[in-house]
Amino acid sequence: MSEVESDGPVSVLRRTWGDEEVFVRELDRVFKHSWQFLAHDSEIPDPGDYVQRRMGRDRVIVVRSEDGVIRVFLNTCRHRGVPLCRADEGNSSHFRCSYHGWTFANTGVLRGVTYQPDVYGRDGIDKSELGLFEPAHVDTFLGMVFATWDQDAVPLREYLGDLAWYLEALMGKFDDGLEVVGTPVRNIVKANWKTEGENLSGDGYHTMVTHATAVELGLFATPKDLEKLTEVVTPRFTGRTVDCGNGHTIRVQRLPVEIEGNQYWGYPEEMWEQFDRNLSPEQQQVMSALSVCHGSVFPNMSFIENFKTNVDGPGLHARYFRITVRYPISATHCEQLWFLLQPRNADPQWRRLSAQAYLRTNGPSGMFEIDDTENFVGISEASVGEVARDKSITYLGGLKNPKTPSDVGWPGDVVDGDKTEKTLRAFHRQWAVMMDDDVVVS
Amino acid sequence: MWASPEEHAAVSAFLAHEAEAIDSRDYATWLSLVDDDFTYQVPVPRTPDNPFTPHYDLRSMLIDESKWSLESQWFRRLDRDLYELSWAENPPVRFRHFVSNVRVRRTENPKLLDVRSNVMLIGTRQSDAPKFLTGERSDVISIIDNGYRLARRWVVLDQVVIDFPQLRIML
Repeated sequence: MSEVESDGPVSVLRRTWGDEEVFVRELDRVFKHSWQFLAHDSEIPDPGDYVQRRMGRDRVIVVRSEDGVIRVFLNTCRHRGVPLCRADEGNSSHFRCSYHGWTFANTGVLRGVTYQPDVYGRDGIDKSELGLFEPAHVDTFLGMVFATWDQDAVPLREYLGDLAWYLEALMGKFDDGLEVVGTPVRNIVKANWKTEGENLSGDGYHTMVTHATAVELGLFATPKDLEKLTEVVTPRFTGRTVDCGNGHTIRVQRLPVEIEGNQYWGYPEEMWEQFDRNLSPEQQQVMSALSVCHGSVFPNMSFIENFKTNVDGPGLHARYFRITVRYPISATHCEQLWFLLQPRNADPQWRRLSAQAYLRTNGPSGMFEIDDTENFVGISEASVGEVARDKSITYLGGLKNPKTPSDVGWPGDVVDGDKTEKTLRAFHRQWAVMMDDDVVVS
Repeated sequence: MWASPEEHAAVSAFLAHEAEAIDSRDYATWLSLVDDDFTYQVPVPRTPDNPFTPHYDLRSMLIDESKWSLESQWFRRLDRDLYELSWAENPPVRFRHFVSNVRVRRTENPKLLDVRSNVMLIGTRQSDAPKFLTGERSDVISIIDNGYRLARRWVVLDQVVIDFPQLRIML
C-alpha cells in the first residue's frame, strides 16, 4: 500500500491546460513513465484478436498472440516505419507491412523478409534482432490491460495502490466478470486531456450546477423515487473522497437512505447474492445503496458506476459501468475513448436498460456528458492567453473535511463528504512530481 | 420495388419539412411528425480489418432514443424554463441538415416505406469554425391518411473519430 504524505497543491497555473511546452513535457515525463490503460481482455478473447490503441501519441497494437499471451507492439514496421495495422480491430496471426512486405508473427517476431538473398545477402540480416518494439511491461488487473515504457516502473498492482481494493468492489463483484460491449466510441474533445479526468477523479462539487437540468428531469434519484424503494429516506446524500496514492483517486456517493442489509439497486435482484459473496463487508458498503462512484487511474483513465433513475420511463432505474480514456493530441485537444462494460450473462432486458441509462446520461451523447464537456472545452480556451496562462486555478475545496475513521476499513486517505477537491489535489501532486517543473504554485 | 416519382417527391418534401423542424428547434412540430413507437439509433462507427464487414458495430450504440426519451428528456431540456441551465446548448450549437440522394422503396407492408438518404450535418458552436458529419440514414416511414410519419431512424456515420461540437445530435 502506498504512503500518502500530503494533501497536495491548492494552486496550479492555468498554462497547465493550454501550453504546448507543458504538453510536450507531459508526453515525455508523464506518459512515458506511467502505466497506461489500453484495453479490456474481453475485447480480444481469441488468439489473433487485436485492437489498435494509443500510448501517449504512439499508436500501438494490443493483440492476443497465438500462445494466448496479451502483447503490445508499437504499430510501426521495424524496416521503414509504416504502420502494420490500419484497422481499429481484427484478427490476424501475422502482421504484414504494405511497403516492402516484412511479416511479423503476432508474437512480435520478424518471420519473413521479402527477397532476402537479393537485398541483404544470404546471412545479411539477423531477424532475431528486428522484432516489433514492445513496452517495457504489460500486465492486466481485473481484465484491464495496461502497459508502460518505463523499465523501472513498479509492478501494476503496486502502481494501482489503494485503488485496487475499490476497483475490485466495482469490477470484481460479478461471478462471470465484465465484458466490453462492442467497439468503443471515439471522439475529439477540444480540451486538454487532463480536464475530464480531473472532474472524474472525484469532483462531487459540480453536480448540482453543471447537471441542473438532468437533476430536474428526474435522472438523479429524488426522495420520491427512493420512497418507492425503501422506507427511511434522509434529507442529504452522503459520500467520501479518497486519495489512493500515485495520483489515483475515487469518490463514492451514497443514496440518502437508511437501510437494513445491502441494497444493490440498479442491478437485477437475482445478482445481489453474488455481490455479497464476492465482496468483503467493507467493499459491500461501497457498492450498497450507491448513487455514483467514480475515479481516475493516473494519468488518463477514468471509471464510473452510476445509478440512474427513470431512464426509459418512470420507475425504470439502472446502474451502468463505464471506462473512458483520453489520448493527448495537443495542449488543447484530446481523443476520448468510451467503453461500456456489462456483467457477462446478465439479463438481456436489464442490459438494454443499463445501456440506455449510460447513453442518455454519461454516454458521449448523454446530457450529463455534454454539459460537462462544455466546461472542459472552456477551461482550455480560457487558459491559452498570455495573461491567463500565468494566473492560477484554486483547489481549496474540502480541505477541512473530517478524516474518515480508519475502523471503517476503506483503504487510502479517506475523508467524509464528497464535495471536495481532495482528488484533484491528489492528481496534481503526482503530476507535479513527475513533471519536476515550477508549474505548480503552492 | 421503387416507389412512384410522385411518392418520391412527397417523401422528399416530408424529409425536408422534418429537417426544417429540427434545424429551427421547433420540437413540437418535429414530434408531430414521428410515430409513438419511434426509435432513433446510431451504431458505433469503426474501421474493421475485413472490408466486407460493416464499418459500424451492431453491438454498441452511440445514440439509442425513443419518442418518450426525446420528448421527456432530450427536448424537455430545451424548454424555456430549463434552457438557461442546459449549458452545452446555451448558446445553442447551430445545426444545418443537408439531406440528399433520397431513395424510396415500397415494402411488403403497403403502409410502410423504406427510405434511405445521405445526410450531412453541419454544427457551429459559438464562434468556432463549423464542423461536419456525414452518414447514411435508413428510415422507416409510415403512410397515414394525410401524409407521412417517421417510424424509425437508423443512421450509420462515416467518421470513426467523431469531431463535432457536441454529440447530442439528431442526424
